Amino acid sequence: MAAKPRVGIFDFTGCEGCELNHLNFEEQLLDILEHVDIVEWREAMDERADELDIAFVEGSLSTPDCITRINAIRRKSKILVAVGACAVQGGVNAMKNLQPIEAVREEVYGEDKYLFPTLPALPLSAVVKVDHEIRGCPMTQIEFLKVFTALVMGKRPVETDHAVCVECKLRENECVYDKGMVCLGPVTRGGCAAICPSFGQYCTGCRGLVSDANPAAMEQILVDHGLAAEEARKKLQLFNANQLEGTQS
Amino acid sequence: MDRLLLEDADLFRFIAHLVACKTVYAPQRKGADSYVFAPVDDPQAVVLDYPRTLHSIKKYFLPPREELLSFNLRSNAFAAAEVEPVNAIFLGVHSYDLHAVLKLDHNFSQGNAERNYLTRRQGAIFIGVSYRPDRFHFGGSVGIPVADTTGCDLFLHRLDRGHVVEIVSDTGRELLRGLDLPAFTGELPRTADFEQHIYLPQGKLTEVFARGYQSGIWEEVAEKCVGCGTCNLVCPTCYCFNVEDEVDVSLEGGSRQRHWDGCMLREFSQVAGGEVFRNNLAARQRHRVYRKFKYISDQTGEPWCVGCGRCTAYCTAGISIVNIVNRLVQEHDWANAAKL
Repeated sequence: MAAKPRVGIFDFTGCEGCELNHLNFEEQLLDILEHVDIVEWREAMDERADELDIAFVEGSLSTPDCITRINAIRRKSKILVAVGACAVQGGVNAMKNLQPIEAVREEVYGEDKYLFPTLPALPLSAVVKVDHEIRGCPMTQIEFLKVFTALVMGKRPVETDHAVCVECKLRENECVYDKGMVCLGPVTRGGCAAICPSFGQYCTGCRGLVSDANPAAMEQILVDHGLAAEEARKKLQLFNANQLEGTQS
Repeated sequence: MDRLLLEDADLFRFIAHLVACKTVYAPQRKGADSYVFAPVDDPQAVVLDYPRTLHSIKKYFLPPREELLSFNLRSNAFAAAEVEPVNAIFLGVHSYDLHAVLKLDHNFSQGNAERNYLTRRQGAIFIGVSYRPDRFHFGGSVGIPVADTTGCDLFLHRLDRGHVVEIVSDTGRELLRGLDLPAFTGELPRTADFEQHIYLPQGKLTEVFARGYQSGIWEEVAEKCVGCGTCNLVCPTCYCFNVEDEVDVSLEGGSRQRHWDGCMLREFSQVAGGEVFRNNLAARQRHRVYRKFKYISDQTGEPWCVGCGRCTAYCTAGISIVNIVNRLVQEHDWANAAKL
């Protein structure tokens, strides 16, 4: 039998919740470890690796050092998978991109701001080639398993590119809008089995926009359901600041 | 006697009688303001006066998700999933939803008969019920009046304090055995009028749709549309599906899963190599509406829309299929008038 794929897990700007979510695979963790060797993972081990078959990378890129590191990871990895909203879209971090970068820097670091160089929060794909994406905040476990099993079998994972609405409908959920709430499900990528709307929440859009999204129509829907235009815009920007036109500073 | 009186006081006894015969599926409340067909445990939970259910009874014959087969990667073996007839009583079905089932019967028995659907379809008994059309229903415009009993075994016509039970089939008559309901000799109640109308019958619509392909309406609708696919997924006559293989994380085996899909979704028209052959929402909206009023209708002579109003009622963007069709009718009339 061929050697097991060598896997590394990396983090950039984010809360490390996606990384932690790898450890929440209580029922599947032993199966996962059966198929791969984890050879680098800062959060869980000391060793480093020179070559990797698969790199799972969490977090957005927000400093010059991030750029250097992601390039190094890309160079040593055959397959690079962006994990979670920060790595895929820039995540909530990208809301800082909506303000002048110097103002943001001053707000956070005060008079020491010159010690902390910063960049707009970027998705990995803005700097390196990303082979596959696992979306969500934190990353969606069922999607991780789908991508993971495909990769260890040498298959190309099937990307989800339909709205959360589809998965709500498959579960015959009452529409969140019919409960008097607003929801970003109509333009947000499914793949999460509509977990938030299925348990009384609304979709905040953590998995990013579908690829043919019509954000202007989404904003209009929000306005038609009682939000002010600015609130509607902000709701969409929460996870999609980098994806909406005209929002970058 | 083909008409019996079911007083409201007897309703729970009637439902309990049905439940004693077979599994009964009937509309029940779900959430704040919605209804779904669900198995009846408690006759008091059944709601016969409801506007529409989230999904039609299609979900029992073509489930939202189903396993087609399971496979073992080590032994390279597979086994088709066992499919059983639904064999139940559907109580409180609106005329449009029953027509939708009859349309699906046609779709799934044409060409290669679809084994899973047709197997599940066996043994179903239908008890229709009249309804009060709301601002979304338009059954009258597609040839399906409120009290249309086509396909039913029994039909319940709503009265002020009860229902007239109309016996439509021998199966229905058999179902009432032992209930001792009194005969009903009066006039059947008049059903309420539809508020929504398509302005032309299907015969004329053929012409309208022959011209409507190039209409500007598709781009206009696409500006409001977010492509969420809800209109497809709640449609009782939509039957498109996708099939995906899912491998267990053990890598030892897995299953082939079928789930509902819809032509409003990008993935639906994406093919190997990444090409998307209906690459914008305007083209997808047009296709959706043409599937309801032209492509299948050209073969069958009937609209393939049943007027339930779900696609419009559940569209968060407020897109109305009736308004789209009426706009095409209007454009057709203008074009004809311009020729005179």
